[in-house]
Amino acid sequence: MIDISRVQKELQDCEKDRDSSGIRVCPKSDNLTRLTGTIPGPIGTPYEGGTFQIDITIPEGYPFEPPKMQFSTKVWHPNISSQSGAICLDVLKDQWSPALTLKTALVSVQALLSAPEPKDPQDAVVAEQYMKNYQVFVSTARYWTQTFAKNSSLEDKVKRLVEMGFGDAQVRSAIESSGGDENLALEKLCSG
Amino acid sequence: MSKRILCKFFAHGACLKGDNCEFSHDWKDPSNNICTFYQRGNCSYGSRCRYEHVKPSRPPPASSSALLPPGTYLSSERGLTSAPSASSPPPPAWTLDSLDDQANNNNNTGPTNPEDKPICSYAAAGDCPRGDQCPHIHGDLCPTCAKRCLHPFRPEEREEHKKACEKKHKQLEALKLSQDVECCVCLERVLSKPTPAERKFGLLTECDHAFCIGCIRNWRSSSPSTGMDVNSTLRACPICRKLSYFVVPSVIWFSDPEEKKEIMDNYRDKLRSIDCKHFNFGDGNCPFGTSCFYKHAFHDGRLEEVVLRHLDAEDGQTVIAKEIRLSDFLENMRI
Repeated sequence: MIDISRVQKELQDCEKDRDSSGIRVCPKSDNLTRLTGTIPGPIGTPYEGGTFQIDITIPEGYPFEPPKMQFSTKVWHPNISSQSGAICLDVLKDQWSPALTLKTALVSVQALLSAPEPKDPQDAVVAEQYMKNYQVFVSTARYWTQTFAKNSSLEDKVKRLVEMGFGDAQVRSAIESSGGDENLALEKLCSG
Repeated sequence: MSKRILCKFFAHGACLKGDNCEFSHDWKDPSNNICTFYQRGNCSYGSRCRYEHVKPSRPPPASSSALLPPGTYLSSERGLTSAPSASSPPPPAWTLDSLDDQANNNNNTGPTNPEDKPICSYAAAGDCPRGDQCPHIHGDLCPTCAKRCLHPFRPEEREEHKKACEKKHKQLEALKLSQDVECCVCLERVLSKPTPAERKFGLLTECDHAFCIGCIRNWRSSSPSTGMDVNSTLRACPICRKLSYFVVPSVIWFSDPEEKKEIMDNYRDKLRSIDCKHFNFGDGNCPFGTSCFYKHAFHDGRLEEVVLRHLDAEDGQTVIAKEIRLSDFLENMRI
């Protein structure tokens, strides 16, 4: 059984200092098992200026089991898979503690963005680039941030999807039904 | 007539007799809070009784007394008539109260030793209507409960009361403070949980972080299938990650290390009085050995005596031959 009241408390708590932390957690479904976390890219890193979305799935055993987190925004980072968004972070695995919350876990993820651990990589390609050619890594990470993690207005999203060959009205309804998530809308459009 | 006294079961919302009750179910009627044991002459609670110690008054005329339930006397006359009459109850059996009566009967010329005289129970309960006119000794003020309940001539009783009173007071204070303590896992106030079994703290031996007993036990027993190590992660405090080998349940949260120690010692003492089911009076084998918190006693009540075998290790240190420390046991355990 998931401790729903605890998840609710966490959401309220997160909402309280949302302006100072920049971290947001929004429920995706009514039963609070699927949520979306949003973290700003840390200042002074190639991720600065980006807003990263993280898919959160609350497991049955929460808070005694860690929440499952995965980037839904594409990100170029040695410890985050550039393909799937999977995160390699100890506190989300064997170092989890029930005293941690969704917010503190997201803070840890944010800290991971500013302090990559290339010796324990999730994405070998990125890690190799980080070790061998740091400058190229930085510019790639920055490019990915600019391309995938920049807040874009509704019109930008519509424009991009229309360019892919979908109808304007179709695109708008898809974006609306997926809560403004461009990737989700694209998935919907593709699956018909 | 019999409806005059408020039903004490009704007053607590628990009278099963309803309309058939012989006592009044009308809040306007006075309640009867008189100790019937005292009136019969033997209330063993003495000055600590929560009921009023009122002397039996002269019984009302037979016609009305037949209607009155036994033990109910008009409270307006309480304690003011002390002269014994033919119809009053037989002399009290208990010494304190019989002395009390004697004191009244002999116009205070009774026992000369002030230590033998009881103190006024009205004054001890807060207020004596007779004030300076009272034939009984008025006790000294207890600094904790602010009642005149310290016997001036019984030093032992004074100390006992003071100690008990302070302890009670401290416990109440601790309970009050404990109300606000939140569990760091479920983020709820531990003492506001729905069932009484949940309203307990789980104290860790090595650190002072607050959890409810359910949450901390849940965490420590959660399956390590998720990749979490039993000894380094699950036995660690969720907040500071300090390892604690056991959890002590407690209904109050401690405010200083001494209190914590007291709670822990009491818990261990309690466990030590319970027979270990693994040891099973010597028939079984307890894996915890000498570190077991439970009692290891044989059928004849003899306690188990363990002689530790010390071995010399290669490095010149002495090691104990058998695995007998709980921590050793836990370290080697792979669940």
